Amino acid sequence: MPLFFIQSLAILQKDLKIEWRTRERLGAMAFFAFLVVLIFNFAFEPASPIVKTAAPGIFWIATVFAGLLGLSRSFAIEKQNDCLMGLRLTPADPGAIFLGKMLGNAIAMLILAALILPVLVVFLNVEIAPALPRLILPILFGTLGFAAVGTLFSAMSLNTRLREALLPMLTLPMLVPALLAAIESFRAVLAGHPLSKIADWLVLGGAFVALFVAACLLLFECVLED
Amino acid sequence: MHRRPYILPFVFGMLALIGLAIAPYLVFVYAGIEKEMGLAQKIFYYHVSSAFAMYIGFSLCFVFSIRYLWKRDKRCDLWAACSAEVGLLFCSLVLLTGPIWAKPVWGAWWVWDAQLTLTLVLWLIFVAYFMLRTHIEDPVQNARFRAVLGIVGFLNVPFIHYATKLWRTHHPEVVRGEEIGLPPDMKTAFFFCVLTFFMLFFALLFKRVSVEKARDELESLKAEMRA
Repeated sequence: MPLFFIQSLAILQKDLKIEWRTRERLGAMAFFAFLVVLIFNFAFEPASPIVKTAAPGIFWIATVFAGLLGLSRSFAIEKQNDCLMGLRLTPADPGAIFLGKMLGNAIAMLILAALILPVLVVFLNVEIAPALPRLILPILFGTLGFAAVGTLFSAMSLNTRLREALLPMLTLPMLVPALLAAIESFRAVLAGHPLSKIADWLVLGGAFVALFVAACLLLFECVLED
Repeated sequence: MHRRPYILPFVFGMLALIGLAIAPYLVFVYAGIEKEMGLAQKIFYYHVSSAFAMYIGFSLCFVFSIRYLWKRDKRCDLWAACSAEVGLLFCSLVLLTGPIWAKPVWGAWWVWDAQLTLTLVLWLIFVAYFMLRTHIEDPVQNARFRAVLGIVGFLNVPFIHYATKLWRTHHPEVVRGEEIGLPPDMKTAFFFCVLTFFMLFFALLFKRVSVEKARDELESLKAEMRA
């Protein structure tokens, strides 16, 4: 395996180990996502058909908001004890650091998504089980796109005066195409359409991930340097 | 320190002034009234011209941002920030004139049309650009982060465009006005307006850059005095 990937896997392993030992990030994210879904229930009349059409949107809003909460911690933990300086001093490529961090965030988001889906089934009364295999691709693209953009900006917002408060303002506008693709393909899959029907959205989601991961790998060096 | 040449903003400013004085005549008197949309269509000349100027601003920001990260030349950052600023001004103009046109023609102030949504998202991205500028203390880090945002934001344009286009087709009730095949009188007025807005754009850009340069010079002079 090329050195680049070994380095990023080491970063990923470190992040997962921290998460496994503290279990603070994912717990907070899951609880927040749960709250978002519940609060959305109050926005609509219970058991109205609107709730079902809104379900894909509610799912992604819960995932993204909770994800933002987790992302802001992603680099905040590196700020303690000057860990970021330590990371910078390692011979690892800045791109590898980005990739490791991004994969860590993406895994957290995927776990989060897996936790929200049952909540959606129970509280919004949506039938998800038959569409589950076809949901994997849209969710994967959505979370990867989010993790790429979010990781870049979470490293940036750490050095601003507003800290975490700036993260959503940077991330959300940038995320519009990926979010649209994720919500629309989720909706189409829930409505029972095959994947071929949403090929355009999937291509868009995949291309977004590819371009942004590539751009972030190149640009991350400029974000990390002091 | 030598005097900065202020000739460029002056020349472009004068051209823009002359253009803006003639444009209303061409728009309201020379060009005919559109049959279906009536007088409301007149805003098209300023609306679309602003959109073109906006794209120049954001593309210049993209180019100068890349150049900044590559060469680490402070002047590139200054140009990038000023182009983004003037681009954002024209972007706001597009968003303000859009609803004035949309209300009489489409019957609503805002429709989630592909182009409108794209402009709104671009506006949000570049507002974030200026938030980044205000909230980072270290000037070098400030410039670097903004350059990254300027590049990533501009790369996002085709994605937003494609996404909003796909999305819009799922909502067929939105009808877009077709602008292909303008009659010659309208075409003349339109091209004149576009040209005028370009002059205005560059006049504002050069002025902004010279103001920023003067500010830098003042800062360095102050530092010299203290030392």
